[in-house]
Amino acid sequence: MFGEDLILKWLDEGTIDHVQAEKMREDLAEYNRERRSKKQIIAFSTIGAILIGIGAILFVASNWEKIGDTVKVLLLVGSTVGIHYAGYLLKYEKQKYPRLGSALILLSALLFGASFFLIAQIYNINANNSTLVFIWVLGVFPLIYGYRSAPIAGLCSLLFYLWISLLYLERTDLNKLINIWDLYLISGISIYFIGVLHGLAEKIKHAETAFKFMGLQALLFALFVHTFELGEYQVEKIVPVIYAISGILFLAVLLPKPLREKLTGFRIDVSISIVALLMAGITLTTIYSPASEKIYMILFNIIFLGLLTLLLYAGYSTENMGIVNTTMFWFVLLIFARYFDFFWELLPRSLFFMLGGLVLLFISVVLERKRRELKVQFSGGEQ
Amino acid sequence: MNQKKIFYLTIVFWLLIFSGFILYKEYTLRTGTEVVLKTEPVDPRDLFRGDYVTLNYEISTLDLEVVPAEDPHFNYNDRIYLALALEEGYGVPKKVYRNPPEDGLYIKGTVKELIYDWEEDEDGIVTEEPQIKELRVEYGIESYFVPEGRGLEIESQQWTGEEGVNVKVVVDKYGNAVIKSLLIDGKEVEI
Repeated sequence: MFGEDLILKWLDEGTIDHVQAEKMREDLAEYNRERRSKKQIIAFSTIGAILIGIGAILFVASNWEKIGDTVKVLLLVGSTVGIHYAGYLLKYEKQKYPRLGSALILLSALLFGASFFLIAQIYNINANNSTLVFIWVLGVFPLIYGYRSAPIAGLCSLLFYLWISLLYLERTDLNKLINIWDLYLISGISIYFIGVLHGLAEKIKHAETAFKFMGLQALLFALFVHTFELGEYQVEKIVPVIYAISGILFLAVLLPKPLREKLTGFRIDVSISIVALLMAGITLTTIYSPASEKIYMILFNIIFLGLLTLLLYAGYSTENMGIVNTTMFWFVLLIFARYFDFFWELLPRSLFFMLGGLVLLFISVVLERKRRELKVQFSGGEQ
Repeated sequence: MNQKKIFYLTIVFWLLIFSGFILYKEYTLRTGTEVVLKTEPVDPRDLFRGDYVTLNYEISTLDLEVVPAEDPHFNYNDRIYLALALEEGYGVPKKVYRNPPEDGLYIKGTVKELIYDWEEDEDGIVTEEPQIKELRVEYGIESYFVPEGRGLEIESQQWTGEEGVNVKVVVDKYGNAVIKSLLIDGKEVEI
């Protein structure tokens, strides 16, 4: 994206005249206004859809006795089908409100889950049943491709994490096989990898960012938890194998030049493959020579900081504002956590909070300034 | 494939999931045998979470000395089939099978915990191979959903009622069970 500085440069060089420069400025301002407005519509309609969806799920959860079961099912299933039709109509038939149409399709995917849970509630299917969440994923997954919906890709990723969490609670034998944080880490890497694969084909590229974002968040969350003293770190032999396979699969996609050229976030993808291979090494070493929890804490802090640095570098060089924001968020969280760990016992409480507050204020000023600088640079003057 | 086809396919797919699920459960409810199962109070702190009541049945814990098993070797998450005898409407456990019995009433469950028993000598050394003493089994009917705030009511009746809380379930010929109603002191309650 070009900005005022480029227009001035072209004016100086004589590439364009003053009339052309003025036209460029006007068009650029118009383009930025249009883009901002589109983003606002998407944000408002998506948040609106999510709020209604949450409301519907809470309606089911309240198990309101004033309405009979049949009426409730007809009401909710009817709303699901009706809203889905409205979304389809607005996005494809009328094509007048495509963004609102997309939001309504997302809402119908949420209502599908709410309806399904209502039916499961009526028949008293055991609570916290992972299969129900799995059927929800199964029901809405085809919409990612049918309607080219990125928000539904995000929803499916979220439901996938929920499904593995419930499955982990249900199947106590999984406890012996894998640590929950390793399971989240592997899931995050897998979802991110699915995002990478989506980036390779033009037809499904729309879901790339959503999958990558959700994968990266789970991966960072699991690594962040690992930075605490979690007690004895036990690993079964299957865990390094899974990490190694995921790392090798990543490399198989990232290394061949024709595939690599199709990927926009190559540097970020490499950072994730490094994490997968590093985890394969750490878990393999743990099996044969386990270290103390302090050592793991230090090691994971270094890995987490290293990954954040790599991501920041990658985000900066690919001008990806989302990655920069994500990195800064987790960086602040890490500082906050370590501050609590190290100083909570050492300083008197009042001094602790005052000092902590000052440190956070200082960090926020530095980060905000840096973020603004980057944003200005990326968007060519737009703030 | 155009968007219109995708729209119709989605609606059909969703309705199939909804109706398939309803039919699966309705089949059990309409063709199965009604059985009353006795519940045992569990730790009150675990009795209900949120707006459902956790039901712990007498058949949730199977003492293999009382209820014999066709094959006494079990693993975690194994599928079992518990043959039931109807005594005054109540389902009484008869025998545990690894495969569906050829006839009679039985309920399908999953082993969730194995409790072992072993003998030790005076020095605390195990003298014989540990044997499975009890099975903790889940039948998929362990939750009963109640309207917001009504869980407390059932809980108090479970503790103060004379006969406690029983559950009327319907079991189909494949061993699938669906909760039909809750009985407090022998009377069906409308919740």
